[in-house]
Amino acid sequence: MGLVKAQSLTKVFRRPQKGPGLRGSVKHLFQRRFKDVPAVNGIDVSIEAGEAVAYVGPNGAGKSTTIKLLCGILVPTSGSVEVAGVTPHVDRIANARNIGVLFGQRSQLWWDLPVRESLGLLRDMYDLPKGFYQQRIERLDEVLGIGELMPVLARKLSLGQRMRADLAAALLHQPRIVYLDEPTIGLDIAVKDKVRKFLRELRADGTTLMLTTHDLGDIEDVCERIIIIDEGRKIFDGPLAQMKDSFARTRRMHLHITDGTPMDVIAKHLSTADVSGEGSEVTIAFDRFAHTAGQIIAAVLQVAEVGEFHLDEPAIEDVVRKVYAGELLV
Amino acid sequence: MFRTMRIYRRSLGAHFRSLLEYEADFWVLIVAGAMFNALNLLFLSAVFAHVPALNGWSYAEAVLLMGVWSVIGGLSPLFFEGVWRLSWMVNQGTLDYPLVRPAPVTVQVFSSGIGLHGVGDIVTGGAMLGWALFHVDVDWTPLTVVIGLVLLASAATIHLSIIAITNAATFWISGPHPFLAIAVHTFEDMIKYPLTIYGAGIRAVYTFVVPFAFVTFFPVSWLLDRSAGWVGLLGPLVAAYCVWLARTVFRRGLRRYDSSGH
Repeated sequence: MGLVKAQSLTKVFRRPQKGPGLRGSVKHLFQRRFKDVPAVNGIDVSIEAGEAVAYVGPNGAGKSTTIKLLCGILVPTSGSVEVAGVTPHVDRIANARNIGVLFGQRSQLWWDLPVRESLGLLRDMYDLPKGFYQQRIERLDEVLGIGELMPVLARKLSLGQRMRADLAAALLHQPRIVYLDEPTIGLDIAVKDKVRKFLRELRADGTTLMLTTHDLGDIEDVCERIIIIDEGRKIFDGPLAQMKDSFARTRRMHLHITDGTPMDVIAKHLSTADVSGEGSEVTIAFDRFAHTAGQIIAAVLQVAEVGEFHLDEPAIEDVVRKVYAGELLV
Repeated sequence: MFRTMRIYRRSLGAHFRSLLEYEADFWVLIVAGAMFNALNLLFLSAVFAHVPALNGWSYAEAVLLMGVWSVIGGLSPLFFEGVWRLSWMVNQGTLDYPLVRPAPVTVQVFSSGIGLHGVGDIVTGGAMLGWALFHVDVDWTPLTVVIGLVLLASAATIHLSIIAITNAATFWISGPHPFLAIAVHTFEDMIKYPLTIYGAGIRAVYTFVVPFAFVTFFPVSWLLDRSAGWVGLLGPLVAAYCVWLARTVFRRGLRRYDSSGH
C-alpha cells in the first residue's frame, strides 16, 4: 500500500504544428493542425511512506511533468493518482497540506518582499500556530541558515540563498511528502552540501521524498531507490545500489602530465584501465570496482609527474542513455 | 470564509508593502487615477455647457452615474489587480506554486497585486458621487439606502466577475497578455454615460451578453426612479449568475492549465 500511487499515468500535450517562418505561422491561423505529444506515457509508481526516491531521466523525459501530475498542478490525460488517500487534482487543498514542493528553476518567494514576509504569508495559508511556526523557523535556520536571509528582499538573494529560502518555504509546514524538482541546480559545492545534508535529515525524520536531479551526488547522498524514465516511459525502477553496480562502473580521471612522459608509457603501466588523450592531457577510464581513484593516481605517479587532475563521476544521463539504447540490460 | 478573507487581507497587505519599495510609482499612480477622472468630469461638463440634459438625464444625474462608475472602477485595481496578471502567470507557468498551496487559486491570483490608481478613482469618484447625491431628486428612506448599497455591491461584483471571466479566457487563448479582457474592459468605458444614448444593439449587448448595464445604468435608473428602473433590482441576481459563471470558467480553465516546460 503506497503513500504515493500512480497507475498508468499519462499526460498528453497538444502542440500546434506549424511550418517554418512567418508563412507557416500565418498558414496555421487558418489551417489549424495539432500534434499530440505524450510527455508522460503510462507510468506506474508506488512509493511507500518514508522512502526516498530519485526520479531521473534525460532532459525532456517527463520528470517535471510527472511531479506536476503527482502534486495536482496538471490534470492527467488518463490514469490515476492518489497521494495519501487524496486525488491531488480533484482535492487540491487537502493535498496541498500533505505535500511540500520545490521547483529548483523557479522561486515561490514573493519577488518584492523580504523572505520573512513570504514565510509569513505561507504561515497564514497553512494555518500554522505561532509556536509551531517559531519552532520551524528555528529548525530551518539551524540547517539552512535562513536567519540571515529573513530581512532580505527575494529579488536581492543570490541563487544559493534563494534555494535555501525556497527550501524553507516548501518545508515550513512540515509536509509528510516532499517533491523536489532539481533542488541543487546551479548551486556551488558548499551550498549543495548544505542542501544534501538537509535532505538527509528530512529522510531521517521519516519524510517521504521524491527528487529529480541530474546530479549523481544528490542521489547517492539521499536516495536508496531510483526510477529512470525516458520519453515518458519508466525504464528502470529499483534499488540505487543495484543500478550503480550494474551500470555506472566507469569513472574517468583527467590528468595534466608535467614531465612529458608519453601516454603509452602510462597506458602500459596501467594495463587494466583505458588510457587516452593527447600530449600532456591524459584521460584514464577505470572500473571503480577494480580500482580506487587513489590506486590509479599512485600508479601514475610511479612513472610520471602529475600537475593537475580531476575526476568525473559516472553521469546518470550516460547510464540512462545506455539503458535506453539497449546497451545495458535492465 | 473568514480564513480566506484573512489570507486575502494578508496577501494584499504584503503586496502593498512591496509597492512602497517603489515610492515614485506610488504617487504617480494615485495622481494618474485622479487626473483620469478629473478629465472625464471635464468632458462631461463641457457637454452640459451646450445642452441642458443628455437624453433626459440632468447634469447631476449624469455625474452620479459617472461617480458610481469611477468608484466601482477603482475598487477592482485596488483589491483585485492580480487578476490582470493571470495571463502572464499561465503563459509563464508560475501558477504552479499557487496550485500547491492550501488556499483558493483565485484568492492567491487576485490578491497578487495592487493598482494604486484605484485610490485616485475612488477619491474623485466618491467626490462626484457625494456631490451628485445632494443635487439629484431622490426620496430617501432607510430602505432606499439599504437597497442602494446592495445594488452597489452587486454592481461591483458584476464588474469584477466580467474582468475575471475575460481574463480567464487566457486558459484557452494562452497568450502572455490579456487582450480579450483589455478589449472588453475598454468597452466598459461606455457605461459612464446613460445607456439610452446608444442604439438598441449596444443596449441589448450590454444588458444580456456582457451585463455592464447592471454596473451603472440600471441601479442608478432605479435610484432616480426612471422608467424601467425596476430592472435595477435584478442586480443581485445578475451578480449571482456572473459569480457562478466566473467560478465555472476558472474551474474549467484550471483543468486545462498545462504549466510550462516538460
